[in-house]
Amino acid sequence: MIGAIVGRELRGGLVTPLPWILLGAGQVVLAWIFLRVIEDFSGLGADERVASLTQELALNLFGFAAVIAMLAAPLMAMRMLSGEFREGSYQLIEAAPVRLAEVAIGKFLGLALLMTPFCLLPAVNLLMLAGAAELDVGQVAAATLGLWLATLLFCAIGLYASSLTDQPGASVFVAFGILLLFSIVGRAESLTDRTLSLFGWLSWNEHLFWFLLGAVRLSDLAYFIFFTGVFLVLTHRRLANRRLQ
Amino acid sequence: METLLRVTDLSRSFGGHPALSEVNLCLERGEVLGLLGPNGAGKTTCLRLLGGMLAPTSGRIEIQGIDLARRPLEAKRHLGYLPERPPLYPELRVDEYLTFCARLHRIPRRRIAESIDEVKHRCGLDDSGRRLIAKLSKGYRQRLGIAQAILHQPRLLILDEPTEGLDPFQMRELRALIRELARDCGVILSSHLLPEVQAVCDRAVILDQGRIRFNDYLANDKPIFGWRVRLGSGSRLVQLTDLPCLEGAVGIGEDRYRVILMDNADSAELSRQILQAGLDLRELVPEHTDLERAFFDLIGVEGVT
Repeated sequence: MIGAIVGRELRGGLVTPLPWILLGAGQVVLAWIFLRVIEDFSGLGADERVASLTQELALNLFGFAAVIAMLAAPLMAMRMLSGEFREGSYQLIEAAPVRLAEVAIGKFLGLALLMTPFCLLPAVNLLMLAGAAELDVGQVAAATLGLWLATLLFCAIGLYASSLTDQPGASVFVAFGILLLFSIVGRAESLTDRTLSLFGWLSWNEHLFWFLLGAVRLSDLAYFIFFTGVFLVLTHRRLANRRLQ
Repeated sequence: METLLRVTDLSRSFGGHPALSEVNLCLERGEVLGLLGPNGAGKTTCLRLLGGMLAPTSGRIEIQGIDLARRPLEAKRHLGYLPERPPLYPELRVDEYLTFCARLHRIPRRRIAESIDEVKHRCGLDDSGRRLIAKLSKGYRQRLGIAQAILHQPRLLILDEPTEGLDPFQMRELRALIRELARDCGVILSSHLLPEVQAVCDRAVILDQGRIRFNDYLANDKPIFGWRVRLGSGSRLVQLTDLPCLEGAVGIGEDRYRVILMDNADSAELSRQILQAGLDLRELVPEHTDLERAFFDLIGVEGVT
């Protein structure tokens, strides 16, 4: 059943222009950043370089890709539930013998699969340097994993926001609001005792940073998996509550 | 007779406002039930409750003896539902859409192609398999909506305004299809069109303000029940009841009356006597059906007809 829902989301998503625009525009922006980093790096003398080429590329290329994914995921997610509520096509699923958990997971996996090619774009860009420069493959793999996990979190937040309203535009703004909160909550740390790092821990960019440095830490993995799960559970609750409204 | 649907004391409120109150219904196999009512009467709410899309505030729905609230997955396997607006995905092709519906309804993979061919044939979509849903006309979208509802051969079929958007020819085809489907299952359909319900349904339920006001079997061979008369302004009921050809008369609005003729009298006699009594005869309309009479009497909108 999950497979059927994932298949429909993929089929439906691939015939809309959004994923292709995301891939095309994303590649243009990433290529520009890629060239800037290479140019800056090659212009520096060996003693002026503070970080390796892989580190420079990982922090700039993957960091910027995460910001693009954060903006794109709510746009991709809005048609998955909110758009279906508005068009009335969600009634097909409501009247079918399908568990709501299967609906939430199927939609999420469909969205995740549509976003995955974009997550691979920075790594594909780095492939161009294969043979020309020495790259830390492990760090690139860790950064790609981090970007993918962060994108999964954005997808779960986008899907939750999409389940809140029949207005796709409003769902995008709700998702941006939640994502913005998760992005800047780390700055609140400066207002509190440095030893109390709860706000810093809540911020997604703090966790992605360690992946971009090549460190795959269990706590960072747990953060992304936990919050992705939380927003999927909230989506499920929201779908269940629709019957009561 | 096999009871497919049993609804007991079904009620549903939206924020304290009761949309449906204490509805009791039964539907047997082979029966077509028409749900009638003015806008806002609770028809769609009732159908959404029966389809499992809304949870009732109180009451119980059983489909083939299975409680819809306790065992929704099992109950919904026997259910085919067509909402007011067909639930379609414009970006898919007809075959892709029906394949998705077949998988949602857990039709075994080896039977999917066969089921889709059969349902396309039944709904007149034989040549439309490769067509994009976004390019379909309104009538074809409605057909596709019906196709998805009957694809898995449900025992209970719920159709919310199924003739909406169909031309008269398609309407006639749909009526035949509904009668054909009703041989194996029970059908509930809602409609604004009294003749539509009269033509296709065995039984009609009239809802008004969330309550069932009429629930009876329809017989198409009933004789004319009476006549509706509209007289010139200032007329009084007593002037009509004095006429010798009338068995009885009741007022149903300003200068509007419903009259029943004596067995040996006819409409010509009635019009003659009205004129002889010095009254102005503005309208004389036969009341053919119990349903129409019941609808307008219950809903109380005689004045706008």
